[in-house]
Amino acid sequence: MPWAPTRTARDSGTMTTSAIRWTGVTKRFGAVTAVDDLTLAIEPGEVVALLGPNGAGKTTTIDLALGLGSPTTGAAELFGLPPRRAIVAGRVGAMLQGGALLPDLTVAQCVALVAAAHRRPSGVGPALERAGATGIASRRVSRLSGGETQRARFAVAIVSDPDLLVLDEPTAAMDVEARHLFWSSMRELTASGRTVVFATHYLDEADAFADRVVILQAGRVVADGTPAEVKAVVAGRTISFTTHADAPLAALPAVTSVERRGTRVTLTSADSDATLRALLATWPDARDVLVSARTMDDAFLALTSATEQEAGR
Amino acid sequence: MNVRYVSLETLRQLRNARSLVFTFALPVVMLLIFGGAYGAETDTTTRLPWIVVTTVQMAGYGGMMAALGQAFTIVAERALGWNRQLRVTPLSAAGYLASKVGAALAVSAIAIIIVVAVAVLVLHARLEPTHWLLAGVGLELGIIPFALLAILVGQFARLQFAQPLFMVVFFGLAILGGLWVPLQILPQWMTSVAYAVPSYWLNRLGQMGAGGPGAVLAPVLVLAAWTLALAALISWRYRRDAARA
Repeated sequence: MPWAPTRTARDSGTMTTSAIRWTGVTKRFGAVTAVDDLTLAIEPGEVVALLGPNGAGKTTTIDLALGLGSPTTGAAELFGLPPRRAIVAGRVGAMLQGGALLPDLTVAQCVALVAAAHRRPSGVGPALERAGATGIASRRVSRLSGGETQRARFAVAIVSDPDLLVLDEPTAAMDVEARHLFWSSMRELTASGRTVVFATHYLDEADAFADRVVILQAGRVVADGTPAEVKAVVAGRTISFTTHADAPLAALPAVTSVERRGTRVTLTSADSDATLRALLATWPDARDVLVSARTMDDAFLALTSATEQEAGR
Repeated sequence: MNVRYVSLETLRQLRNARSLVFTFALPVVMLLIFGGAYGAETDTTTRLPWIVVTTVQMAGYGGMMAALGQAFTIVAERALGWNRQLRVTPLSAAGYLASKVGAALAVSAIAIIIVVAVAVLVLHARLEPTHWLLAGVGLELGIIPFALLAILVGQFARLQFAQPLFMVVFFGLAILGGLWVPLQILPQWMTSVAYAVPSYWLNRLGQMGAGGPGAVLAPVLVLAAWTLALAALISWRYRRDAARA
């Protein structure tokens, strides 16, 4: 396995060992570059959301960190070790995409089987309990709903009492209630200082749960920061309203952009109070006014579409 | 090596054994048909009663098919992504291999015991108990390379092609090895082919256990060579398969 503990120590500038470190990782499948020169470190205790559109390389990035495949160039490490060694040490738990449980077993049997593969499992009972899966312990895996399946898989992931949890779209196929339940049991786990990396499509999950958001696009990091920092990419608020006037709205105070769709206008403003006062004073025909804060969705769209245009050029 | 995992996995496949009911039934049916037909005459090549020769043949066939049937299980588990989940545990390639060989040998033992029990209880086949035991043990040990073959096929086959592939490989082994019909009845060229096929030597090992003539070293060497070659292929494949197991 090509593993070289090269520049990493110097680059990090600290003495602590990262929970996950990708150093110049590129992964190509034929002509497709799934991960493109990725350098990223996840520090112990962080809860990190990995966001990105489909095909952005989230799953490949995770697989490489877990040693489920070797990078074309570069190296991935877990706790300063080659991935396999950290896994053998029982420090990692994972809910993988396309990593299903055995349908003919009960949830408890599945967890017990995986526990047997670990050297120091934390016990089947406690794992089921912490995953909120005690109630479905004796149910067959094939009879579970989407949300229940994910809870069972979560129990499997934490049975080794891992320091690092890697979750690839853990709440896919869950309904709203199941998602709430999942994240609340997750909060209890991370309260004890575990590192969690999760890939998700749900931006609100990243916003509410992660300390740090990393957005991937075409196998590269396009944003990396706290949810607030990432949202700041699309600073200010939007003011949308209906008007028939073909007004020079960009001249209003603090307006940074104007977007028209028929009679509906959306202004982006760095100071929504000032813009709004001026707008209503100057253009009294503005109706159905709506002021809203920029969301993670806006940030996500702004970040990923910007790089798309760059790539297209 | 992870003893606890290997035993749990073996138990799991044993609990699944009811899905192998046809695998267990077919050799019994053939035993009842052929065993009754040949009667008490003695086979000239092995100098064993025909009923014993047929019993060993069918026990070998049943045990082999039960072991090879693990390939289905492995293909299905891979398709599910179970192997991906296992790869984020400390379970080593050797541990995985041992769990699958253990499971294959356990279900094979059931097949062998059923055939021998039917031969003794229903067809009144007579042989020293020690020879039955040795025949059974010989067959069981001879099944190790077939367990490995099942793992190898399970690693390569895709779910949609599995069925026809298995039919060709498994029945080819049964026929070429002389497990269905004694080789004496088949054309001469097939006998030459049979020497290269592990199922032929599986049958020979069983016959020798039952008290038939021949040096045990020959089947042991051939089957050991198959075992080593298959084990090497499997570990090479397991390493290569790491990406999308």
